[in-house]
Amino acid sequence: MEQTTLESIQFNEEIQGIMAPASETANSFTALLELPPTQVVELLHSPEITGKPPKPYPLTCDTGNLTFPSNTTARFSVLAGENKNSPEVKDEVPETEGGGCVSDPTIENKKSKGAKRKEREKKVKVSSKKIKSIGDENSGNGGDELPYVHVRVRRGQATDSHSLAERARREKINARMKLLQELVPGCNKISGTALVLDKIINHVQSLQHEVEILSMKLAAVNPIIDSNLESILATEGLSLMDSNFPATVAPVVWPETPHNGNRQQFQIPWQSDAFHQPLWGRGENNPNFMTPENSLLSYDSSANSVSLHSNQMKMEQ
Amino acid sequence: MRNLSSLKKEFLRKWIKGLRKYNSQKKNMNLLERKKAIKLSADLAMASTKDKTTLWRKALFANTSTKIDDEQDMSTTSSTPQKKVIRKNSTNSYPLRKRITGRRKILRRNHTKERVEASFIAMRLVKKRTRKLKSLLPGGKFMDDSCLVDETLDYIESLKAQVEVMRCLVTSSELFINQP
Repeated sequence: MEQTTLESIQFNEEIQGIMAPASETANSFTALLELPPTQVVELLHSPEITGKPPKPYPLTCDTGNLTFPSNTTARFSVLAGENKNSPEVKDEVPETEGGGCVSDPTIENKKSKGAKRKEREKKVKVSSKKIKSIGDENSGNGGDELPYVHVRVRRGQATDSHSLAERARREKINARMKLLQELVPGCNKISGTALVLDKIINHVQSLQHEVEILSMKLAAVNPIIDSNLESILATEGLSLMDSNFPATVAPVVWPETPHNGNRQQFQIPWQSDAFHQPLWGRGENNPNFMTPENSLLSYDSSANSVSLHSNQMKMEQ
Repeated sequence: MRNLSSLKKEFLRKWIKGLRKYNSQKKNMNLLERKKAIKLSADLAMASTKDKTTLWRKALFANTSTKIDDEQDMSTTSSTPQKKVIRKNSTNSYPLRKRITGRRKILRRNHTKERVEASFIAMRLVKKRTRKLKSLLPGGKFMDDSCLVDETLDYIESLKAQVEVMRCLVTSSELFINQP
C-alpha cells in the first residue's frame, strides 16, 4: 500500500509538473485540488492511456464524489488496471529508481496523442538504455518483454535500439508480404522472399499487359467509342448522372430461362426494341435494385456460361 | 474482395466520363489514337478513386497529365517539323546510351570482390527484384521497402478491378455488335 501511495504521489507530482505550464494557478500540489474532480480524472486518464486518439473524454465520473487523495490512489490503481501497458509499468517501476520513474510518464504524456510505432521504438531506446544501466537481466532471460513495445527480445539477440528498430521494420515488411502472398494467386506455398517477389512481379506485369491488350481490343471493337458506348448504356437505361434506379422501375417479367436454352433467349431480346425490359427483368430477380453498372459488369468474361444465375451470383460478390 | 465491386463501379463511371470528354475533342481517330485515349482515360480513372491517396496514384496522375499534354501538343501543331525534331533527338540518344553502358561494365569489373555467402546472395536477389518491382510501379522509384509493399497491394487490387471492368465492356460490346 505504501508503495502504491508513493507511486501515486510521484505520478501526481509529474502530472502537476506537466500541468503547471498549462494552468495559470499556483505550482503546488494543491493546484490539482482546485480543479473539479472530473478534470482530474481526465488528467489521470490521458497520460496513461497511450495509443488512443485524443477524443474529448466524456465528463462522467464513475464514482459520485471524489474526495481527493484517497480516491486518486484508488483511481490510479483502477486506471493502471485498465491500461494494458500497466503490468509493464508496474514491473518497470519497482526495478528502476525514482529517477527512472520520472521520465516515464513524461514520455507517455508526450506520446499520448496517437502513439505510433516509431514513438514506441523511441521509448524502447530510452527504456533499453535504462535497463542496461541497471542490469542485464532482461537480455539474459528468454522470451522477455521490454516495456512499452510489443517486440519480443529473444535470448541472445541484441537489445540494441538500432537492431530493435530494424527488427520491427522487418517484421512489418514481412507482415505486408504475407498479405501480398494471399492476394497473388499461387504464392502461398512458396517460401522465400525472392521467389515470392518474382511471382508478384510476374503478376503485375501480366495485369498491365492485359490492360494494354484489352484497350486495344476495345479500340478495335468500337469504331467510334462514344456512340457505341452511349447505345450500350442507353439500352441499360443508364444516364451517367443518376446511377441508382429505384426498384420500382423494373416491372417487367422476364421468363425464367432454363440453363441450356439461355443463349438463344438471351440473344433474341437483345434484338427486340424493348431493350431495357429484359435487363430490368433480370434485375427483378435480384431483390436489391440493380444499378446499371452492375448489369454491365455482370456480362462476365465467360460468355460461354450464359446462365443467368451464375451471372447474378458473380454480381453479388 | 472487400470493396472490389464498388471500386469497379467507380472506375467504370469515371472512365466513361473521360472517354466521352476525349471523344468530344476529336471526331475521327485511328486505332492507335483510340487505344491511347482509352488507356489514358482508364489510367486517370484508376488514379482518381477517392478513398485512398497513395503514391502510385499521384505518380500516375502526373504521368497521364503529361502524356495528355504531349498528345494535345502533337495533334494541334503541324506535324512534320516537330516530328523531325523528335526523331533527331531519339537517334542522338542512342550512342550516348552505348557509352553509358560501357562505363557501367567497366565499373563492375573494378568492383570489390562479391561475397559468396548465402545470405548475401539472397539479399542481392531480393534487391534485384525490388528494383524491378519499383520500375514496374508508377512512382516506384521514390518508395522505400515498406511503402513499396503497401503500394503494390493497392496497385494490384485496382489493376484487377480495371481488367475486369474492361473485360466486361469488351464482351458486352462484342455481344452488342454481333446482334443487330
